[in-house]
Amino acid sequence: MKETTVERKYLPEMQQKEMDELRNTVKVASEKIIADNIARMKKADPHRPDAMKYFDDIANLFGKRQQEIEAEKAKGKKVIGYMCLFAPTELITAADAIPVRVNSGWYDTSKLGDRVVPVEVCPVIRSTIGAKMIQLSPFLEQSDALISVLTCDGMTKLSEILSDQKTIWGMNVPRVKDSTHSLRFWSDEIKQMKTQIETFTGNKIDRKKLKESIEVSHRATKVFRRLQELRKGNPVIMGRDAMLVNQAYSWDDKVRWTENAEKLCNELEARAAKKDWVVSPDIPRVMVTGTPMFWPDNWKLPTLVEEGNPQGIIVADEQCSGERILNDPIGVDEWSMDDMLNAISERYLMASTCPCFTSKDGNEDRINWLITKIKDWNIQGVIYYVIRGCMLYAMEYSRVKKALDKINVPVYYLDTEYTREDVGQMKTRVEAFLEMLNARVDF
Amino acid sequence: MITVGMDLGTQRVKAVVLKDGQVVGRSQAFAGFDPTKATEQAVAEALTQANLKLSDVQHFAATGSAMDMAPYEHSTVSMMSADAKAGVSLIPTARTIIDVGAEEARAVRCDERGVMADFVVNERCAAGAGAFIEAMARALEVKLEDMGPLSLKAERASPINASCVIFGESDVVSLIHRQESKPEICRAVFDAMADRVSSMIHRLGVNPDVVLVGGVAKDVGFVASLNRKLGLTVKIPEYPDYVGALGAALIAAGRVKGGA
Repeated sequence: MKETTVERKYLPEMQQKEMDELRNTVKVASEKIIADNIARMKKADPHRPDAMKYFDDIANLFGKRQQEIEAEKAKGKKVIGYMCLFAPTELITAADAIPVRVNSGWYDTSKLGDRVVPVEVCPVIRSTIGAKMIQLSPFLEQSDALISVLTCDGMTKLSEILSDQKTIWGMNVPRVKDSTHSLRFWSDEIKQMKTQIETFTGNKIDRKKLKESIEVSHRATKVFRRLQELRKGNPVIMGRDAMLVNQAYSWDDKVRWTENAEKLCNELEARAAKKDWVVSPDIPRVMVTGTPMFWPDNWKLPTLVEEGNPQGIIVADEQCSGERILNDPIGVDEWSMDDMLNAISERYLMASTCPCFTSKDGNEDRINWLITKIKDWNIQGVIYYVIRGCMLYAMEYSRVKKALDKINVPVYYLDTEYTREDVGQMKTRVEAFLEMLNARVDF
Repeated sequence: MITVGMDLGTQRVKAVVLKDGQVVGRSQAFAGFDPTKATEQAVAEALTQANLKLSDVQHFAATGSAMDMAPYEHSTVSMMSADAKAGVSLIPTARTIIDVGAEEARAVRCDERGVMADFVVNERCAAGAGAFIEAMARALEVKLEDMGPLSLKAERASPINASCVIFGESDVVSLIHRQESKPEICRAVFDAMADRVSSMIHRLGVNPDVVLVGGVAKDVGFVASLNRKLGLTVKIPEYPDYVGALGAALIAAGRVKGGA
């Protein structure tokens, strides 16, 4: 593996032996957690769609997909990792490279990250640092270069820290969305990224290739939206299953993901026709918004909701680890190179509801998205999920709360850490919230 | 109809026996290492007071952080629902119920039926809860039960940090080194706790009447500080530490009626 050998400015030197031991321990634990999560998801739905099998395989981060990427690399393909949804993956695929998201969902590695940054720092960041320290994450290790979009403070400094060992391309994202020069600035970033990717891969991104890539994204978005539509009515899929399918897109081959997601949707449609509901249609319909929840460890909230007493079901989310991944299509008119690049710029900047943005009326896009989703998906309660250290989501809560109070939808602020130890306390809170939604208590 | 509510808290377990809407027995025990056994003891004691047997009980309901360890066949209810139900049954005008226990502080907003509408819980830190007073009493070499009366003698307030028990303790130590009087330090402890609890309640909205329950409601020092902070007089039911168990017993009765 080609690693840039530069003087380490951030990451501590670690003995090979300690590194190997730690990696092995965390990997073994992680494989168990992946298996356990999937077993619980299977148990939750006795008629779980056959198509889920495919996504379960992709979700094994140390399995089939890792080997496949390894084989592609051996044939000379480049892997370009990214840590944020703003990375224009269409440019990567158009250069015949493999895009893969590398945010870390491992709890154990966040403790290792504490050796580099203080414990107050966002756990996603600490965990990604820790994963790099022991070379745990297959996709992060396989990445030949990383696109780091400088959205929050954590991401900005994370990319500096990772630059000890990886080639990093920072993308400077403007924070004020409703200004014309923000979009112009971002378009320039996108165009610069195109050149960078071309130089790095040695593959020219021509009009035809980019068009193909965008069309692949269009097909994926179409089936992605179809899946979310299927969650509008009485429940035919557990929230966890849908969330895993959504997240798998960030690691998988885009064309094959689309085919399999289509198979899944066909099964779910048949299921809806038979009125074979996955849980009783009377249980509370919950939406999750806030900090991204990365597979495999950080699966505790959806598990608590869907295995709770009383039980709830997640029918929608507003998270960059979930529905934000593919919600918005790239709107192309002319299919000229310029038009396509502008369309990509617009799609990644304007459609995003990330709290790193502000505008004349704050992050109103997010509020509108939430309210539309709540109405159309018939959501009874919202869990506002924040991991400690995630300033932007934490600070946007009071505004979201006020907006949802206005439409009389209960929202609960749930804060947690990258740890398993607080599951008991979280359970109390989640179940009290579900109880409240349910009016389960008989009087 | 006879029901039993069991509240398995972090320090003590409580049991309430309810007969046709009236409390006929109540008892508590240290949770210790075996909350199940402790609860069995508390239930046995409460039933003895009521002249009843285990077999007379139609429904057990458990609440509290260790509710999964409750003995006997039982249903469960969250602490928040239990507080809302019992709070309104004891004080019908209650709309905000604050429960400060050993390790946790929480507040519930509810309607006139005792149905919860919203709730907040302290941020997994004991600084707003009873354990904070205990730790500070240790640092001050004052008996826990003397902290409250002593604090009322304070002539002024000295601020300390209550974002964390450990840092709070070191703040108390620096007050000791500054030779502040014990009453003033005691008051500082309660003020700091009340500060934490009141900012939590402000996130919920202060809707009178505000009722304070849980073991810490018996501490006059905390009550005085909280009243000052909120600018109102919180109402405290008799036996505030049994409110969770009572709520569970009331909800159990509802479940018998509802056929659950």
